[in-house]
Amino acid sequence: MSKTRKFLKANRGFVYVIPWLVGFLVFKMYPFFTSLYYSFTDYNLFKGMSTYTLQNYIDVFTVATEKNALITTFKYAFMTVPLKLVAALFIAYILNFKIKGVNFFRTAYYIPSILGGSVAIAVLWKALFNDTGLIQMAFSAIGLEAPHFMSDPKWALFMISLLRVWQFGSAMVIFLAALKGISEDLYEAAALDGAGKWRQFFTITVPLITPVIFYNLVTQLVQAFQEFNGPYIITKGGPLGSTTLMSLLVYNNAFGGTYNMGKASAQAWVLFVVLMIFTAIAFWSQKHWVYYSDEEGGK
Amino acid sequence: MKKKILAAILSTAMVATLLTGCGGSADATADTSAADTETETAEADTAAETETAEETEAEASGEVTYEECTLTFDWWGGDSRHEATQAAVDAFMTKYPGITVEVNFGAWTDWETAKAAEYLSGNNPDVQQTNFDWIGKYDADGETYLDLNTVSDVLDLTQYDQSTLDTAMDSKGGLAGIPVSITGRTFYWNQATFEQAGLSVPTTLDELLAAGPVFQEKLGDNYYPLVVGEYDRAILMAFYLQAQTGEPVINESGNFTLTEDQVKEGLAWIQSLEEAHVIPTIAYIDGEGADSMDKSARFINGEYAGIFEWDSSPAKYLSALGENSGDLVVGNEIIDGVFKKVSLMFSISATTEHPKEAALLLNYLLNDEEGAAIMSTERGIPESKSAYAVLEAAGAIGAMEAEAHAAVMDADPMYWNPLFDDSSLKGDTAVYTTVFEQFSYGQDASGAAYTIDDAASDLYNAYIAVAPAE
Repeated sequence: MSKTRKFLKANRGFVYVIPWLVGFLVFKMYPFFTSLYYSFTDYNLFKGMSTYTLQNYIDVFTVATEKNALITTFKYAFMTVPLKLVAALFIAYILNFKIKGVNFFRTAYYIPSILGGSVAIAVLWKALFNDTGLIQMAFSAIGLEAPHFMSDPKWALFMISLLRVWQFGSAMVIFLAALKGISEDLYEAAALDGAGKWRQFFTITVPLITPVIFYNLVTQLVQAFQEFNGPYIITKGGPLGSTTLMSLLVYNNAFGGTYNMGKASAQAWVLFVVLMIFTAIAFWSQKHWVYYSDEEGGK
Repeated sequence: MKKKILAAILSTAMVATLLTGCGGSADATADTSAADTETETAEADTAAETETAEETEAEASGEVTYEECTLTFDWWGGDSRHEATQAAVDAFMTKYPGITVEVNFGAWTDWETAKAAEYLSGNNPDVQQTNFDWIGKYDADGETYLDLNTVSDVLDLTQYDQSTLDTAMDSKGGLAGIPVSITGRTFYWNQATFEQAGLSVPTTLDELLAAGPVFQEKLGDNYYPLVVGEYDRAILMAFYLQAQTGEPVINESGNFTLTEDQVKEGLAWIQSLEEAHVIPTIAYIDGEGADSMDKSARFINGEYAGIFEWDSSPAKYLSALGENSGDLVVGNEIIDGVFKKVSLMFSISATTEHPKEAALLLNYLLNDEEGAAIMSTERGIPESKSAYAVLEAAGAIGAMEAEAHAAVMDADPMYWNPLFDDSSLKGDTAVYTTVFEQFSYGQDASGAAYTIDDAASDLYNAYIAVAPAE
């Protein structure tokens, strides 16, 4: 057997993953590290690069529009993630009961998540929340005036956040799978001991699904910090930049006409680092609240 | 003998390859002649002579010779423009068998972003619809677009006024594109709404200003004589200030001609329109969430009784109004200081392998009797004299479009510098949007007060960053 054949045989697994590895290195790692390099420059897609600078990073924390985008992203994430998790768990809990037509309801609640951010959703959301929309009409019917969601900077972010919360289907399905894994015996035993539904929920259900809550928390956190579609299709970041999240700001700088890749790269890296910090905090905190049944001593 | 066979095989392979990709018989013959055999050279020479003779004969009979090839062509626009252009391309392929045109088209949204990436990678199509300011943005070195003077034997440039062609010169003095049409802004009024208010459509600025309070009193707070978004306000303000100074806001030398105080004066005038209920605030416009004014229910039902639009754009507004389209009438230029600009162009890529065939396509779309008739006025009233004559004879130039165009041209429009639309100024997140939005809201993105001094300073500094002060 030749040396080459021997080598290939010994490293067969490596050979099999080479296509993926090449794709990963070329299309993921290369842009990833190139953007880090660009972030320290004034690189413009058409004008090229003339100097190295830290200004792009300083601007994120000092220039009003960029600072606002970072703050808005925090607000968005901290508003949508808890609301979405609570909504998903609540609906999953209800849909775990043996009720008539449950499969229909499970499908119906899941559908919004697969609609994603599309023109149809933008039209729907505007039809609901604009000054002559359904929400405004409903308020008018009871003699009240609804907030101007599309034009009031204080309310626009809330409107965008509701879109994300509404799309809780994927998190709900994961919760549902976890709920189905909890033994009925535990509930029966608790019921015999006199525990009501709420008590059962908080002392049996929640502790036993904390790994899934943790999983959903991390994935939703990542998605929320990276949110782009909602504000892009509905408000374009307005009014007054009140729905301009970091990802939209990155896009605007990179492709919005100025092609300022250096600035966009720095903003993307700040977002990445922020996300890493929050993910690290979430992982660190799990030892205090996540229950893994296969671990010795529970927690 | 072996050499002959080899040469024959190589020649055949070469011809086959070129024909498959985009080779013409002339090129193929010329390439074949490069082979190093006496016999082949003789064959090639014979073929070349035959080709030359055929070309001469064809030219003498008025026919155009061309290579069989595949061209790529793209444009942006709406459905009616797509349909007309596709039909014209199909007719072109029928008229010139052997040339295949692969088309790509879409809406304007994000179109430029995609094109920018193509320019960067050098993958732009052979023929493309381009924007006037793209010459400065993507052809700064004069290397992106083909100098169309080099294909003037196929592309009939005599159909255009030299002054029109001069506007599309690149930095090297080459002709970067053919201006398809010249456009300008004018006013369109909903006559029915004005009549409801007991008024006739305004013919002077004073009449427009007087209409605001009357609308509010007689029709209600939700009725306005005119609606203008952020970019419209920038143009309207430029008109107003140009009327005051008598010169373009950015002159032909690329200098900004206004002082910060004059910018402030223009902003104050815009503010006075809001205060007099002539135009709605940006917040009011935003509240409806309409993507564009032709999609606005308030415009469609007559609450917004006037728009300030390009003379080439009435079709979409007439379409939006449906059975009430008769209510929309063209107004005259009630403000002096009007400017005109190239609406859009067609260009050929400098890297195209088939400049002659690309020029042939352009000539068909722009100047050919058949092509121009199919293309119609989808890109405005054509500057090409032959196309205009064809469309006029066929009665294809819409009455409203012609009237609007006449309104602009009769107003003795001023020079317009493409720097006015620089990407730092115009765009969803650029200065015109942010300044006019914040000024109308009275606050900036952080919630702090945004005064007329802030707006004037921001706007002035943005202008002189792209067009230094005189």
